[in-house]
Amino acid sequence: MKKANRIITVLMFIFLYIPMVVLIVASFNTGKDITQFEGFTLKQYSELFRDEDLLGLLGNSILIALLSTAISVTFGTLAAVGIHRLKPKMRKLVMSLTNIPMTNPDIVTGVSLSLLFVFVGTGLLGNRESLNFGTLLIAHVTFGLPYVILNVSPKLQQMNPALTDAAMDLGCTPVQAFFKVIIHEIMPGIIAGGIMAFTMSLDDFVISYFVTGSDFVTLPVEIYTYTKKPIQPKVYAMFTLLFLLIAVLMVGMNLLQIRADRKKGSKRPESRSWQIAKRCIAGALAVALIVGCGFLFFGNRQEKIVLNVKNWGMNMADGTDETLDIVAAFEEKYPNIKVNMSYYESNEALFSQLSNGGITVDVIIPSDYMIDRMIQENMLEKLNYDNIPNFEYVDEQFKNPSYDPKNEYSVPYTWGTVGILYNSKYVSEEDVTGWELLWNEKYAGKILMIDNSRDAMGIAQYLLGYDVNTVDKAELQACADKLAQQRPLVQQYVMDQIYSTMENEEAWIAAYYAGDCMLMMENNPDLQFYLPEHQGFNLFTDAMCIPTCCKEKEAAELFINFLCDPEISGANMDYICYASPISEAKEYMEEYLAESEIIYPAEEVLAKGSAYRYLSEETSRFVEGLYQNATKTVDTSGSDNGWIVPAVLIVVMAGTLVLLFVTRKRRKV
Amino acid sequence: MSKELIRLRDLTMEFDGERILDGINLYINDHEFLTLLGPSGCGKTTTLRIIGGFLTPTSGTVTFDGQCINDVPPYERQINTVFQRYALFPHLNVFDNIAFGLRVAKLPKEEINQRVQEMLEIVSLKGYGHRRIQSLSGGQQQRVAIARALVNRPKVLLLDEPLGALDLRLRKDMQIELKRIQQAMGITFVYVTHDQEEALSMSDTVVVMDKGRIQQIGKPEDIYNEPKNAFVADFIGESNILDGVMLEDYKVRFFGRIFQCVDKGFAPNESVDVVIRPEDIDIVAPDQGHLVGTVTSVTFKGLNYDIIVEFKGFKWLIQTTDHCAEGSTIGIRLNPEDIHIMKKSEYSGMFGDYSSYSAEYDELTEDAGDEEE
Repeated sequence: MKKANRIITVLMFIFLYIPMVVLIVASFNTGKDITQFEGFTLKQYSELFRDEDLLGLLGNSILIALLSTAISVTFGTLAAVGIHRLKPKMRKLVMSLTNIPMTNPDIVTGVSLSLLFVFVGTGLLGNRESLNFGTLLIAHVTFGLPYVILNVSPKLQQMNPALTDAAMDLGCTPVQAFFKVIIHEIMPGIIAGGIMAFTMSLDDFVISYFVTGSDFVTLPVEIYTYTKKPIQPKVYAMFTLLFLLIAVLMVGMNLLQIRADRKKGSKRPESRSWQIAKRCIAGALAVALIVGCGFLFFGNRQEKIVLNVKNWGMNMADGTDETLDIVAAFEEKYPNIKVNMSYYESNEALFSQLSNGGITVDVIIPSDYMIDRMIQENMLEKLNYDNIPNFEYVDEQFKNPSYDPKNEYSVPYTWGTVGILYNSKYVSEEDVTGWELLWNEKYAGKILMIDNSRDAMGIAQYLLGYDVNTVDKAELQACADKLAQQRPLVQQYVMDQIYSTMENEEAWIAAYYAGDCMLMMENNPDLQFYLPEHQGFNLFTDAMCIPTCCKEKEAAELFINFLCDPEISGANMDYICYASPISEAKEYMEEYLAESEIIYPAEEVLAKGSAYRYLSEETSRFVEGLYQNATKTVDTSGSDNGWIVPAVLIVVMAGTLVLLFVTRKRRKV
Repeated sequence: MSKELIRLRDLTMEFDGERILDGINLYINDHEFLTLLGPSGCGKTTTLRIIGGFLTPTSGTVTFDGQCINDVPPYERQINTVFQRYALFPHLNVFDNIAFGLRVAKLPKEEINQRVQEMLEIVSLKGYGHRRIQSLSGGQQQRVAIARALVNRPKVLLLDEPLGALDLRLRKDMQIELKRIQQAMGITFVYVTHDQEEALSMSDTVVVMDKGRIQQIGKPEDIYNEPKNAFVADFIGESNILDGVMLEDYKVRFFGRIFQCVDKGFAPNESVDVVIRPEDIDIVAPDQGHLVGTVTSVTFKGLNYDIIVEFKGFKWLIQTTDHCAEGSTIGIRLNPEDIHIMKKSEYSGMFGDYSSYSAEYDELTEDAGDEEE
């Protein structure tokens, strides 16, 4: 019995701590691949401490955690005292009410807070930038408070109520009694509640995501937008440090508790050094708090203009892999502007963030059809082209595009095509005749299909010879039928996973964006790109716009202008691997990119491409529904073996339970 | 006699519509040791808390030195309290606990030091200043609580069952100690207890309370010897209480016999309660007794035997130093001064019958008393 218990305890600890061990090991790994430990290094740590952005984000998170904890502790303690003075029935009711926010799903809290802030800030106070540092702080206090109340209340209940009387009897006013006596009695609860509020605040993502403005971003929110980028090893280093910090806090708290318990039994007076140590800790905390507040109120009030840019992930050169750090170059040129980057993962996500309101964004880079939609919904500002002289470099063919016919709202950033990527080792050249390659039964199970409704339906439209912006329901239905027909042949519907699957030759044929195909071809020379020009293909453009929620329009135009500089644009394309709408940029690009026909198809080829327009909301929804029906019931059991690990775990747990039960029974007998 | 310090006038107190105090009138003199005595829930602690300022009476006034102090908060009253279970501050050591009130009053450090040391000496805890509260015994904690209150030199010290948590030996020692301190410092003590022996041995004045009302106020001897009603007679010591008829002054009839007594002032043939203390009864041979009964139980108590004797179906408690065998027939004699006559009251018939007497009875009631809030 004892043995079984011990084994279970050990298993449980392994189960709980294995992920942390992996993370810590990864943070000391020389190689980038977490599956192989190549050697021990502290490089990640030194890189971490040189990364001002990351440290700044961490600083933000700690600052907000400290401030929200301080506020939660103050008001939570007062509230707990107030609740304690209620009559028992009322007290129970109030306690369960204060506990509800804790059990409430974060997402519900987040959305409702966001609604409230936008309603009050924008609706009532007319402040367009209603989501900001203040709202983030309020939100963190909202979920920190219940933890403090929950921890302080039992301490008040345990406290001898006569202590308050005794203090008043000895001349204390009720306030004095609180500070001279009660606070000492409930201090363990205050500390425990404070630490919980602190850690909850430090790692909160869900609620923060909904209430954060663009002026102040916390670490977890930022990390989440990294989903498009591979997480850098220095982030592991930071997580390791965070984990250790929390661990030290918890162990320290436990030690304090043990000390306090032991002290109750001992006859020794409190040692002088311990008293001094206590004062030092309190002092250090106070200083940290004051410095934090100072940093907040003065550090952030630089004279600098803050420019909020929202971009796709990995869609602007940032200095990695010997590319130009564009933001740094811009800030160097315009020292009074600070660029604040944040990211979105799809056009639709950007759209909903902007239409929810409450945030300030100065520059966005959506795709053509989304710009079309935003213009229709009055979400974009007209640009002042006097501030964008570099617009003259933009090639004529990209001016006055169909999505912005008078070219009032947008300046093209990149463009590209959607084509077919195939592996010449397995796919015979004679089969590469057009989009029908994706329907070729010879390659059943080795075909990847692009996983978004607009591109997938578009491919079917090109194949069937329909207009790519058709709203004819019969034609759309035919496209959907075509996709349904393809379904048994498709291995997976993918976006980013295409990289590994194609490079490792697990699949042979795929439809994807030319720039990404180019990157994959660098890693696997057997891969080939094909553009079915006779059938037509999508020619997409991402363009820079200024949304109506902008605050620094002039700086935004400066930034757009800067990105249109041929030299900058060229350096930028080296990183993102798409085509620049500025021909002169080619001079500054690496040759193999500038001369690549994949990235820059010949003009007569380009003429065969067409752009997506924004279809009405009703049609968009109709298309989405058709697409889902046509593709999403694919039986993927062949490749899906994700059930094995949980199943093994359940069997092990069940087994140990049975073992326990049996051994206990035997004992009784 | 010294002057009046505190007066309670028509105090009533209600919690949630329940009447806890019902018309309390009482005055407390300077330097007096006054005890509020009564069973759990009689209102004695409530009365004390009203004097201390922790409760505001529903109606009635509290005057201190001639001034109404109903609205004066506890921290502005020249009164200090020793709480039930002491309520010492666990985060402070002995010295800091005692110095607490002086520090709140912002006295100079020198004076605080001197007064605390002085107090430590008075309560025999010299050299314990640096000790933690948790490391002290119950009796030591008790003395810290007293020192913490007295160091402020209050005019009145309120003590709420201060010895309730101590064992019997320590309680006896502390009773003497408290009385000594009270006399030495010349402070008025208002003492709350449910222990009648404690009340009798320490007090100048005893106030017996029950059901939110004062039943009797008087010197300990008067309370014991001249209880006003069956409740007091039963609560203070042991009493056999019988129904009787006062025929005329000094003549009472019960158990079908007429006895001489020392009481007068009743209407002719008035029904009365007759109190006979168990220790006042003389046991004699059956043929010499006023009454003859059968011994039904004998309990050895150390100093004496408690015997239960049945007279015509009514059981009496008799305390005697002579052993009587169970089942034997004995006679008793009653002298006039052994018989105390009381007017009939709401308590008549509720006390003084030992039919259900058992040896553990005493202890049970004492335990119940501890739970009073």
